[in-house]
Amino acid sequence: MKAVLIIHNKAVNEQILYILEKLEIKGFTKWDTVYGQGYKGEPRMGTHTWPEENSATLCVVDDSRVEALKNALAFLDNANEEVGIKAFIWEANYLF
Amino acid sequence: MKIYESAVKKPITTLMVFVAFFVVGLYSLSRLAIDYFPEIEFPAITVLTVYPGANSENIEQNITKPLEEQLNSLNNLKKLTSRSSDNISVITVEFVYGSNLDEAANDIRNILDRVTPLLPDGVDRPTILKFSTSQMPILFYAVTADKNYDGLGKILEEKVINQLNRIDGVASVFAIGTPQRAVYVEFDPNALNTYGITLDQIGNVLKAENLKLPIGSVKTNDLEYKISLESEFKSSEQIKNITIAFQGGKIIRLEDISVVRDTLKDRTTIERINSGKGIRMLVIKQSGSNTVEVADKVKKELERVKPTLPSDIQIETIFDTSKNITGAINNLSETILYALLFVTLVVMIFLGRWRPSFIVLTVIPISLVSGLIYLFISGNSLNIITLSAITIAIGMVVDDAIVVLENIIKHLERGSTRREAAIYGTNEVWVAVIATTVVIVAVFMPLTLLGGFSGALFKSFGWIVSITIVVSTITAISFTPMASSVLLKSKAFQTNGDKKSLWDKSFGATFDKLDQRYKKSLQFVLRHKISTMLVAFVFFVISVLLLSKVGADFLPQPDQSMLSAKIELQTGTKVEKTEETMKKIEVILHKLFKEDVVAHAINAGASDQASFISAFSANASNIMQVMVRFRDLDVRKRSVFDMADELRTVLDTMPEVIKYDISFSSAMGGMGSNTIDVKVFGYNLDQTSAYAQDLARKLKEIKGTKDINLNQESEKPELKIFLNREKLSQMGLNSAMVGATLRNYITGMTATKLKEEGKEYDVILRLNQDIRNDIGLFKNISFRTPTGGRVYLKDIADIQIIGSPPIIFHENKQRVVTISVKPQGRALASVAKDIEALVAKNTPPAGADVVVGGAYQEQQESFSDLILLMLVASILVYLTMAAQFESFVMPIIIMAALPFAFSGVFYALYLTGTSLSVNALLGMFMLIGIAVKNSIILVDFTNLLRDRGMALFDALVEAGRSRLRPILMTALTTILGMLPLAFSTGEGSEQWAPIGISVIGGLIFSTILSLIVVPVAYYLLIRAGSRRKRRLKLKSEFHFLDKVLPETKNS
Repeated sequence: MKAVLIIHNKAVNEQILYILEKLEIKGFTKWDTVYGQGYKGEPRMGTHTWPEENSATLCVVDDSRVEALKNALAFLDNANEEVGIKAFIWEANYLF
Repeated sequence: MKIYESAVKKPITTLMVFVAFFVVGLYSLSRLAIDYFPEIEFPAITVLTVYPGANSENIEQNITKPLEEQLNSLNNLKKLTSRSSDNISVITVEFVYGSNLDEAANDIRNILDRVTPLLPDGVDRPTILKFSTSQMPILFYAVTADKNYDGLGKILEEKVINQLNRIDGVASVFAIGTPQRAVYVEFDPNALNTYGITLDQIGNVLKAENLKLPIGSVKTNDLEYKISLESEFKSSEQIKNITIAFQGGKIIRLEDISVVRDTLKDRTTIERINSGKGIRMLVIKQSGSNTVEVADKVKKELERVKPTLPSDIQIETIFDTSKNITGAINNLSETILYALLFVTLVVMIFLGRWRPSFIVLTVIPISLVSGLIYLFISGNSLNIITLSAITIAIGMVVDDAIVVLENIIKHLERGSTRREAAIYGTNEVWVAVIATTVVIVAVFMPLTLLGGFSGALFKSFGWIVSITIVVSTITAISFTPMASSVLLKSKAFQTNGDKKSLWDKSFGATFDKLDQRYKKSLQFVLRHKISTMLVAFVFFVISVLLLSKVGADFLPQPDQSMLSAKIELQTGTKVEKTEETMKKIEVILHKLFKEDVVAHAINAGASDQASFISAFSANASNIMQVMVRFRDLDVRKRSVFDMADELRTVLDTMPEVIKYDISFSSAMGGMGSNTIDVKVFGYNLDQTSAYAQDLARKLKEIKGTKDINLNQESEKPELKIFLNREKLSQMGLNSAMVGATLRNYITGMTATKLKEEGKEYDVILRLNQDIRNDIGLFKNISFRTPTGGRVYLKDIADIQIIGSPPIIFHENKQRVVTISVKPQGRALASVAKDIEALVAKNTPPAGADVVVGGAYQEQQESFSDLILLMLVASILVYLTMAAQFESFVMPIIIMAALPFAFSGVFYALYLTGTSLSVNALLGMFMLIGIAVKNSIILVDFTNLLRDRGMALFDALVEAGRSRLRPILMTALTTILGMLPLAFSTGEGSEQWAPIGISVIGGLIFSTILSLIVVPVAYYLLIRAGSRRKRRLKLKSEFHFLDKVLPETKNS
């Protein structure tokens, strides 16, 4: 099992949820508003200077689904570079 | 949950809320009264007192003075003016603005109750009149008749006036100059004396014989009968046969000693309508009712009753305010439609797509409707002021929606879903949108605090603009995101994304080119900032110099297709003689204006009735009042102003015309007056008149003066009787007895009334005309003494012809002579300055005092009010912006555009030859808000870019380039929205064109200059890196941590 943290512009919130649903990734945790800055692109601070905001979605998926998820996210990210989607992945174990 | 979030998530609820709002607005529209001006209750009450037969000095001493003494103690009194003329005293009590007039009227009533018993006998009870614009007549008719002229009063009363009075919303209908029936019993006093009968005796007999008296009742077996004495005169024939005395076995009947004439009452006034005999009829509406509606009903009712009138009676309209109103309102409505069209075009061209344009444009009706709801709730009417406020708002209400929509589109293009783009896109900009609205409201709200006359005009203006702008902002952050979430399409994944549309190729490409060109020019001026500022400064200075060439006027005069003229002949001229000149003038009118004349009414003479109508009459036998109605403006080639000039040239050549005054507004007095008044105070009228006449002659030499009018006329001859008291007492007479008898002889004694068909006619006893109109015979009038003897007037009195002033004016109890001057071709203010200089050179006689005032004074007051408010508004704008930008300097940079907006106004006024009126000032006022808005967009974005790390120069250039379109778009919507306003030529356009002209001129200039001057000012006032330094300064607090941190490039 892999834990995937997706940080994305709020603008694609619904698309991300759609992807998760289609891939039958039923469990996820979502932070509606998060602020931050990437190594490229504009900061998302929710201020007058940098008005945009991000959301974060954390989900734990079967290894078999990782590739599909990556492809979908990459496609969405490529569609418009300004949106900016980042995803991080690490090993996850079921505790109880 | 935020408002835009709820709106997007519940689109149906949102839609319903706005639909409901819209419906309420439409309902309000259907209930709104339509008027020309807002209802202005002029805070004045007039007290009219009639003393038939008294001359002006008499009236002044016996009536005006005692009343003034008492009225002077009223609360909130501002000014007390009076006019004492023959027969009538008119006192006008003016209160400070905002006083409760009902309360004041009660106070006046109390005072009058106390004073009236002290006034001479024969004085009618004083009448109290309140003047308000709502009480101006809405319709003025000319009624002519041929063979039915004698009975015209009765016919009109029965068949027209009663019917019209019943109409809902009509307060009263007056007929002026109706011939009235009276029975005259005329004597030769010497004949009376032969019989030893006095006038009083005859009066008493007539009174005693004209009787209807309840006697009581009697009861028979079953019934009860009322008994009454029926001894009333049935006809004037009966009066003739009344027995007056029984002397020496001989019955003396009234017929034997007098001539009884059942005829028309002597006229002191003459009414001529369309070159024939006639009367005027006017309709006054109830306060608060809809002028147009009431006028329509009256006209309809009149059409209905016309067939019941005898065929020789013609009724023609002289003026119809509802027509001016509908004309002006239709014209403005048309202007609103054009404004809508232009704004739509601008939005379409800039946005280039149907759906977004549609969403933005829906904001217009929603916000405008809020203005209507405000009008309905506050009880205001739809008038040219409120409508022009709505027109002006059209261009401004779309701004916020555009900003919101553009941001939503940006997110849609990035691939958001519609709902997310709508919520998220609004979230990013809503604070900024509200901030700009606060600035606009800060400008317009002070207008609502304006007091006085201009306050009454512009209060509703300030409210409407403020309310519509606030509602437009609320709509922009609720309805606009909702509509976007439903109507817009997500762009990112569409297959035809790369295909360029027609718009992209045409307008899109043009805008791109424009962006680039502006960027280059901006770089250029930023490199030459000092010289740029110098050029701008020179521009500004030139405009200020031009301003001195632009005239200043109070309110522009509208062409209402009518003209009225007051023409004066030699004082003392008999009204019959005046009539001859009236006929001449009728011929002149037709010769000069031919088919343009629709109807005309001329009246002359002093009415001895105390009523509202005396305000519409000439008031002296030598003065005539001419009213002419012309064809509508669109079929007429000449303006009424040109026509007035033609009339003036002819009047100048008529030797009998002493002076004249021509005015153009249908609503009389106050409002449209445009004069400078020179007032000469002083008790000695001989001195003050002489001084004023001299001054008036000199005034003619001042350039640009016209219709110079002296309200004090030359003296008119009067017969004065000086009694010899010694002789009187020998005869057993006193002054009162002689006076009373003479008054009865000349003015007549109303002994009783003849009743016929429910109407009462006076039976008046007096001397016969031959004696009354012959001074020689008059002197030979004889009196009966108490001892039974007989004495001639010439034996007990000295009769002299002495001149006396025909009218005596008071202001604050002091006698005053006023010279009024109309400026022509020159501004009111500069003419006034010359006049003041002239007055300073001519010292008034001892005991006299000279003051220059009039519309000039009011203009000064209004101007200084508005200028003060502009200052207040500017300070408020500074405050809001200093708070918004958290900076003292930023507001200065932003407001750097303001002087250029004003110089734009000056250029526009100069080029169009418009004078600086209150309305033009109002336009300047609005500019504070609109011009500042442009600069805010620019400065705010520059700050943003610098905060994002861009260098100052680059940030300025980039901000300019990227904000060019929004600035041009908002400016263009406002400019084009006002274009129809500025260039409309229809009815009433004189009033609002200056607003349009000044805003357009100012906005064109301020837009162009703010795009150049504001970045340059920014560059001059802000040092490069200042923002970075501030950030570094904040960070310096953490330098203590540096010790434990490794060295990096950043430190």
